[in-house]
Amino acid sequence: MEKYTLIVTEKPDAAQRIAEALDKNGSPKKVRERNVPYFLADRDKPLVIVPALGHLYTVVPEGGSRNHYPIFNFKWAPRYLAEKGAGHVKTWIEVISKLAENADGFIDACDFDVEGAIIGYSLLKYACGNKENIATRMKYSTLTKAELEKSYEERMPHLDFGMIEAGRTRHEVDWLYGINISRALTVAANRYSGKYATLSSGRVQGPTLKFLVTRERSINSFVPTPYWSIQAQVEIQGETYFVDYQKKVIETKADADAAVEACPGRMGTIEKIEEKTMQVAPPVPFDLGSLQSEAYRLFGYTPWQTSSIAERLYLDALISYPRTSSQKLPPVINYKSILDGLSREPSYSKLASELLKRDALKPREGAKDDAAHPAVYPTGNRSQRALNTAERRIWDLVVRRFLAVFGEPGLKKSLKAVINVNGHHFYLHGRQILKEGWMKYYKPYLRTEEVTLPPIKEGEKVQLKRIAREDKFTQPPPRYNPNSLLKRMEREGIGTKATRADTIRTLYNRKYITGERITVTDLGLAVIQVLHLHAPQVISVKLTRDLEEKMERIQNNSEKRERILEETVNHLKPVLTELKKHEMTTGEALSNALKWAQMQERIIGECPNCHTGKLTILFSRRTKKRFIACTDYFTTGCKTTFPLPQRGTVKPTGRMCRGCGWSTLLVYLSGRRPWNLCFNPTCPSKEERRKRLEMQGLQQRG
Amino acid sequence: MKCKVCSREAKTQPQSEYCELHQKACENIQEKSEAWQKALNIEWKDYLNEIAKNQLTGIWAKEVAENLLSSKEEA
Repeated sequence: MEKYTLIVTEKPDAAQRIAEALDKNGSPKKVRERNVPYFLADRDKPLVIVPALGHLYTVVPEGGSRNHYPIFNFKWAPRYLAEKGAGHVKTWIEVISKLAENADGFIDACDFDVEGAIIGYSLLKYACGNKENIATRMKYSTLTKAELEKSYEERMPHLDFGMIEAGRTRHEVDWLYGINISRALTVAANRYSGKYATLSSGRVQGPTLKFLVTRERSINSFVPTPYWSIQAQVEIQGETYFVDYQKKVIETKADADAAVEACPGRMGTIEKIEEKTMQVAPPVPFDLGSLQSEAYRLFGYTPWQTSSIAERLYLDALISYPRTSSQKLPPVINYKSILDGLSREPSYSKLASELLKRDALKPREGAKDDAAHPAVYPTGNRSQRALNTAERRIWDLVVRRFLAVFGEPGLKKSLKAVINVNGHHFYLHGRQILKEGWMKYYKPYLRTEEVTLPPIKEGEKVQLKRIAREDKFTQPPPRYNPNSLLKRMEREGIGTKATRADTIRTLYNRKYITGERITVTDLGLAVIQVLHLHAPQVISVKLTRDLEEKMERIQNNSEKRERILEETVNHLKPVLTELKKHEMTTGEALSNALKWAQMQERIIGECPNCHTGKLTILFSRRTKKRFIACTDYFTTGCKTTFPLPQRGTVKPTGRMCRGCGWSTLLVYLSGRRPWNLCFNPTCPSKEERRKRLEMQGLQQRG
Repeated sequence: MKCKVCSREAKTQPQSEYCELHQKACENIQEKSEAWQKALNIEWKDYLNEIAKNQLTGIWAKEVAENLLSSKEEA
């Protein structure tokens, strides 16, 4: 068989795009071997393009039992040896190894970032048999044909070993923290209660949960204080306008009443008018964090939803690589050709054509930079498939932001008139856009509220139409949501752009937090309490941030991997000794919290009969059946019970039945769509359904 | 000793009838009472009633307010 060059990629979609771009006829042959796809292409020589499935290798412990800690010995091994359900990885590695045997050249074409660097490196080293030192590297930010061809022709002569070393260290350090702290927590709970439940914490997870716990504590122990404000309206030339009172916060009811009583029905005088014109600079290009924030603000998408939608758009060659920290758009991306592409799309043709008429195109850029990739931008390609709503929205957002950064500054006018009514001052505000500039391109996503005022002058009399006192209370600190939490992590410098969203998801999966407006569960509180008491170092933001900085230094060759690993082990040793010493007390706290969390999961809602107890899902030891019963059975003797389906999984939905207002359940049964169940036997919706079915039956018979 | 409100251990340093979480809520209640007194000129018991039924009061603060009210009634 003729020798070929083996190109390894991160994912099957990327492999297909690369194969299509590099094949001289644009139609590579797709082959499937033991269900692993790869592509045969022809260029200057035969090419075989084979994808990975993300990480095929991971860090695994060397020796020791499953419940043993501390554990500091590890090695890199195929994922199927460490993870349940990763059996397919074995076949994948075997196919790549076989393809490597006949190859005489190797190219790493994985994404150009830390994760991509490790995926490519471990494939070349372990699956291909130590080919990491002879392989070359393709570097690209979009999967467009032109850029892929260029990156193939102008390949880097070797892998980016600085990036690989930094990535390996990050995985290893995270593994050391994760496995040891998680085992310490899990083992403690297990030894105390005899029951097994996975508990986890890690280098980034711990400090992130600590932010949430601190906020939860402030909210739960918050005591509001009363204050008052004044709401008023004035009439000017037949129109009424809201005005602000001189003091936003009035501390006593007596003062608020005094202001209200002094003004009703009075005429006021415009004492002063202040007018300001200000320039509004265009926004900066999207990095991943700002794209996630904007998508959450506009569409309510969680950071990991935005991340995965953007990833799909990248694989479709519609946008550039989204996992970037950069807010810069270098000229090398060719603004004109992107705008040319966008001008062929009906929704953007007018806007893009306008920009193309300019003599020079200069984007506004932000301060953040990323050596590996520019900011997120559209490629100018049109989609070859129908995009779903979410994909269309994110694509539109990226396109419009790209257009907006080339726009001219906007111009806004603001006006503030001070009105004196019987010695009390009120402020009238007006806002107006004088010149749209860049706002024209970003219009659907702008939050501008214009208040146009009639012509007014100082000394003019105005009528106070309405004045009222508003009773208010100070508010507790707001709950974090996934987006504000992600921003906090970014601000504190913990985690990376690629891992922050996943860390938040893990907190949800572990049931440490719940809800869109994040509430910390008792289990989350207990984990932080235990760590705060016995291992405060592992929830320290400073430690995590310092480690992030050190790992970045590895990439620049100013820090050594071995030194950081040694530091990590030295740091963990006393922490783990302390946790082991207090195993029983920590075990008790965690077991109680786990028990409470499991009980909470079974609570459906208020008992409709006694209204004091809670309906909960119980299992009868005698009949071995599950049913619903009131928790007050043992206290007040409430005997409310309801039957439940015995097959499948049943979970409370937290929502009420539209027919009767009782709590509802969701029933999951294998092979069927989950359905909502109202367990109220006399629910009117059941009667309606019965009648409807009877009518249908009669019509069919008739 | 257990906390008067929940099953957690009561704070020992300094000695308290509440756990660490409810103790912090109790401190907040005491701290804010002056602002309420100034704003509305109300008694301690009315203040506790007000915060116990206020939707913005945190759950632990509410529990402590209710506990203080019931202790007072029992006394």
